[in-house]
Amino acid sequence: MELLIKNGFVFDPINGINSEKMDIAIKNGKIVDSIQEKNAKVIDASGLTVMPGGVDIHSHIAGGEVNAGRLLRPEDHVKDVERKTAITRSGVGYSIPSTFTTGYRYSRMGYTTIMNPSMSPLEAKHTHEELSDIPMVDKASYPLLGDWWFVLEYLQKGDLEECARHIAWMMETVKGYAIKIVNPGGLESWGFGRNVHSIDDRVPGFDVTPREIICGLCKVNKMLNLPHTIHLHTNNLGVPGNYATTLETMKCLEDLAGDDKPVAHITHLQFSSYKGRDWRTMKSGAEEIANYVNNHSHLTMDMGQVIFTDTTTMTADGPFQFNLYNLTGHKWVNHDVETETSGGIVPFRYRRKNVVNATQWSIGLELALLIKDPWKIFLTTDHPNGGPFTAYPKIIAWLISKKARMATLKRTHPKAIKRSILSSIDREMSLYEIAVVTRGGTSKALGLKHKGHLGVGADGDVAIYDLNPESIDLPTDYKVVRKAFSRAKYTIKGGQVLVKDGEVLQEMYGKTMWLNVETDEPCRIPEEMKTKFRDYWTVEFDNYPVSDHYLRSQSPITVKASI
Amino acid sequence: MIVLTPLRKFQFPVMAECISPDVFQGKSRDEIASLTVYEGNRRKKLGNLFKIEKESAENLKITIKGDVNEVRRIGSGMKSGEIMVFGNVGMHLGHKMEGGKITVHGDVDGWAGSEMKGGLIEIQGNAGNYLASPYRGSSVGMRGGRIVVSGNIGTDSGASMQKGVIKIHGKAGHFLGFRMRGGVIHVEKDVGDRAGACMTGGKIVVSGSLESILPTFTIDKMKPKVKIDQNEKVTGPFYVFLGDRSENGKGKLFASKAANPHLSSFEKLL
Amino acid sequence: MTIVKSVTCPVCGCLCDDIELVVEDGKVEEVKNGCAICESKFIGYRGEHRVLKPKIRQNGKLVDTTLQEAVKKSAEILANANYPILYGWSSTSCEAQRVGVELAEEVGGVLDNTAVVCHGPSILGIQEVGIPSCTLGQVRHRADLVIYWGCDPWSAHPRHVERYTTFAEGRFEGSEWKGYLQKFKAAAGRKKIKRVMKQAPVKNPPSIEPVTPSEPPQKMKKDGRKLIVVDVRRTMTAEVADYFIQVEPNKDYELMEALRALVRDQELDVNSVAGISVECLEELVDIMIGCNFGIIFFGLGLTMSAGKFRNIDVAISLTRDLNMRTKFAIMPMRGHFNVTGSNTVFTWQTGYPFGVDFSLGYPRYNPGETTSVDVLLRRESDAALVIASDPVANFPKKAVQHLVKNPLIVIDPHMNATSLMADVVFPSAFVGIEVGGTAYRMDHVPLPLKKVVDPPEGVLSDKEILNRILEETRKIKLKQVEAA
Repeated sequence: MELLIKNGFVFDPINGINSEKMDIAIKNGKIVDSIQEKNAKVIDASGLTVMPGGVDIHSHIAGGEVNAGRLLRPEDHVKDVERKTAITRSGVGYSIPSTFTTGYRYSRMGYTTIMNPSMSPLEAKHTHEELSDIPMVDKASYPLLGDWWFVLEYLQKGDLEECARHIAWMMETVKGYAIKIVNPGGLESWGFGRNVHSIDDRVPGFDVTPREIICGLCKVNKMLNLPHTIHLHTNNLGVPGNYATTLETMKCLEDLAGDDKPVAHITHLQFSSYKGRDWRTMKSGAEEIANYVNNHSHLTMDMGQVIFTDTTTMTADGPFQFNLYNLTGHKWVNHDVETETSGGIVPFRYRRKNVVNATQWSIGLELALLIKDPWKIFLTTDHPNGGPFTAYPKIIAWLISKKARMATLKRTHPKAIKRSILSSIDREMSLYEIAVVTRGGTSKALGLKHKGHLGVGADGDVAIYDLNPESIDLPTDYKVVRKAFSRAKYTIKGGQVLVKDGEVLQEMYGKTMWLNVETDEPCRIPEEMKTKFRDYWTVEFDNYPVSDHYLRSQSPITVKASI
Repeated sequence: MIVLTPLRKFQFPVMAECISPDVFQGKSRDEIASLTVYEGNRRKKLGNLFKIEKESAENLKITIKGDVNEVRRIGSGMKSGEIMVFGNVGMHLGHKMEGGKITVHGDVDGWAGSEMKGGLIEIQGNAGNYLASPYRGSSVGMRGGRIVVSGNIGTDSGASMQKGVIKIHGKAGHFLGFRMRGGVIHVEKDVGDRAGACMTGGKIVVSGSLESILPTFTIDKMKPKVKIDQNEKVTGPFYVFLGDRSENGKGKLFASKAANPHLSSFEKLL
Repeated sequence: MTIVKSVTCPVCGCLCDDIELVVEDGKVEEVKNGCAICESKFIGYRGEHRVLKPKIRQNGKLVDTTLQEAVKKSAEILANANYPILYGWSSTSCEAQRVGVELAEEVGGVLDNTAVVCHGPSILGIQEVGIPSCTLGQVRHRADLVIYWGCDPWSAHPRHVERYTTFAEGRFEGSEWKGYLQKFKAAAGRKKIKRVMKQAPVKNPPSIEPVTPSEPPQKMKKDGRKLIVVDVRRTMTAEVADYFIQVEPNKDYELMEALRALVRDQELDVNSVAGISVECLEELVDIMIGCNFGIIFFGLGLTMSAGKFRNIDVAISLTRDLNMRTKFAIMPMRGHFNVTGSNTVFTWQTGYPFGVDFSLGYPRYNPGETTSVDVLLRRESDAALVIASDPVANFPKKAVQHLVKNPLIVIDPHMNATSLMADVVFPSAFVGIEVGGTAYRMDHVPLPLKKVVDPPEGVLSDKEILNRILEETRKIKLKQVEAA
């Protein structure tokens, strides 16, 4: 099947294309130079904006934690339902949509690739079963490895190579894509109800510090040549004054940056950028963070933007979720996973009239706007932690329009305006920059060679929006922009038109990507693992791996490690 | 006035949130007859299930003649007007009601007045379980309005109540006023186990006998009278208990001294 | 002869996955590592009367029919139903459950699993307050206080204590099996003497001393793991416990509430709660607060006694309160091997764990309204499909009466009470023996089920049968739409 998208205004930042009127040709699911028009299905995109399909770098859409959130919140679903149609399955929203609904909603916004950032290895089969039930998008998952006992033990011994081999084994075993580190050391401490409070605290029961975990895994990541960097949720997340910890974390990685390439991704940065001694005095630390980031090139980040809505927070950061429960007294799920990680869930409503929430909202936008280079910080809500992913168009409107920001800021708690410098920021992003923070930049940071751009050989994933960049004034017409990004004119995946005018035309299941990391020596790990397995876990070695059975359709990516 | 008469006895659940004065207002008889309802998994028109008669020009009054046990969500979200039912009614009557009046000359099934914010529901017969209680997982209970039941009510009523008045002339089942935060519940006859469990505020007044009192309630004082609302005071004397201590709560549970001789042992703690 | 290792046992929520089977001539001949129930499942399933052909009711009698006929008849029943029930699911694989959700959605039915008669209240409790929990390995490595409340793992989950809790060897806590084993032997001996004395009446029987006095014994202050049992009767697990608390029947709620108040340092007006003195409760609370990692496992004694889901609400609330003072977790002892899996699958596909009503074209959930037993008691349904369970044997009588009055389809490896009353019966392969798949342990850890032997010829898996019914139903539905 061939498809020709004619005369659209193309935004393809990876290839440096900025609002050029050109045709995009797709053949056998891939972008090609040209095709014969008479054999192809033609989409007339004149007066429309054409971008690569959206690539989300961090969105909790599947797995044990997400599903525990779904189970916890019938009151969240009842207000937002999706009826079955001749094409689509039924489902529910709001903050934690059921699997089918998740796929349709992403596709309606023009997204085609989603990264699920949190997977406990022991329960990886669950994550993959759910990912297999998410239609319309390609996807991948990051296993939680920062507090895995094997990592802690090998880092304690200082044996990085052995640590690296274990990580390589794990990636293949649980079909993962990147090393996820959450509150390093804190999760192991949480096993007995404790936490670590700085990157130099000792982890109880192990002679290592968070700093050693972060740096160690960063080096391991390089040894293995993984396409993405380590994906890091910092210590002290969600604690007033934590911007200092975040800066220290960023600094401790400086030495590891050999070339100009990033070595770490700090995720949902907003939650790690607070100044103040307590919640009463909490204010934005975005300026300090942005200053540092503007002068260094070893990091990428995503926003973790807060939306004023009722949502469900969920992270592997057990102690953070416990604190949030203490703060709210709301329902609380905790789920610690043996030998590996922890997790927690608390429903939360971000209120405009709450000074802390309003400041959190400001910080996300401050970070995105103060960090000058859009290739460094990407658009996320840390779905569903800051708010559901369906709010992305709102965030786009705030990024492109000061008017839109001020309209919201004015309605927030009056003191919030003084706790950040958002009101003094004049920067308004262009559509080109929006294309960077929603697809080009994320795809580059993830090392996805075939995603996030429209060059020859790229996957035929395209989003077309009803926006005419020549006739629209973005800052004034932000409402038009918001509408356009919430209902894609067309979403094309692998050359197939999946969505037209915001409605699903056909259901299609994307692939699950995972890393097959090849090390030099033949891997001895299974043998060692077999002897230790019963001491560490309560399942058998043979029953631990995620077999092909759990992936509806897969796309393994082979990586050659330098060990 | 609109008069609805069920054309037959319904076996399957009928979802009819459209039966509400706000929806009927400004519509012709035919328009009303073609409103969508679900009977089981089949989409139907209101006119398929009810005989619809328009007795006067205004539609703010709806009368239902006959038993509609299987018809759910009548008066859902209603803001004004009046619904009168001569017969028994199904679940979720007056769910999310904000204003107006519903009168039932018969019994109602569960979740009547759930998530109610305002208005009046009068039930001449008995009410089912979860009267004025929130749905699963929600902590949003009754936030205003008034419910009066002449007969008895089921279990788990008035959960997470925040405001408003529930008055029961008959008996109430167990877990009355669970996690209640405000408002008043008055029961004239007997009340089942565990009344006021996890309550942190509000008043539960029991004029009849209280089957048992949770160990986490503590006796505060005796009171000769207690106020239900501006217009009504009930005379006791009453034992006044505070609780629930498992939630460090400050709710008040009033139990009639006369009807509860088994609580007299608490008097020595006063 | 082949030996199959690391087989997951398809019996209870423990999902022990270290079973070794010796297979000879397509038969399981020997079971290693399993408990008695596991052994009887793997060896005994063949001994049962096995129906190998689908059956259909004709002139009041069940007669053999072809698969095609049975599928066609089932599809007709479901496609024409106004409010069908699709019930069971807890003893089949997640793969079959996924097809089940699709079928329920297609026919606009009520999808429900056996949780409705066991741990449904646990889920309702969780939806009110959440649940601080963990995987079982976390208990094995860290728990120094284990409380079984209203459950008897010794008989219902025989390897639970050995694999996951008090007897297991963990990184931070060792096994306590030696001490307990002696106690267990002594207890078993006493029971034996009792039994013998009953059978052969002895004059002046010697008095048998109770094992645990009512006050917390000195050994609660011992090092290492502690085991407490709370139940209405002295179960086998209670016999080996360090401390047994006998709660008055249906007073668990009061007991938990009192413990909560005491954890919060509140004073109580009363002197005893649920038959236990407040001093005793205070000591218990001190033990709970004093542990490094405590866990409460609860069973049907809590979910099905007076208070039901409020009992779970308060048990979880107690655990929440305890987390202000130390680390504490709580977990339901799920029964059927994949009841957790069906809740999990239903939740990710529909948002709700059981009692899902598709009649409006989207998932709707309100236990009490949309749960199978309640629908049957109100006589609302007009057809049912029952898979991998036997509601005729364990639903209330009135519910059963309505269930069997309407067209009934049964998919099950066994002929059970429900299939004898059915209009269409599909024999299916045993999940976890004759067909593979996935199941979720009580702590939500997914485990693969193995196909160890071939099913009898012509007997399909639940998944395949459901797929065929779904396909046929779609055809009929499409025709209905075209006709309209």
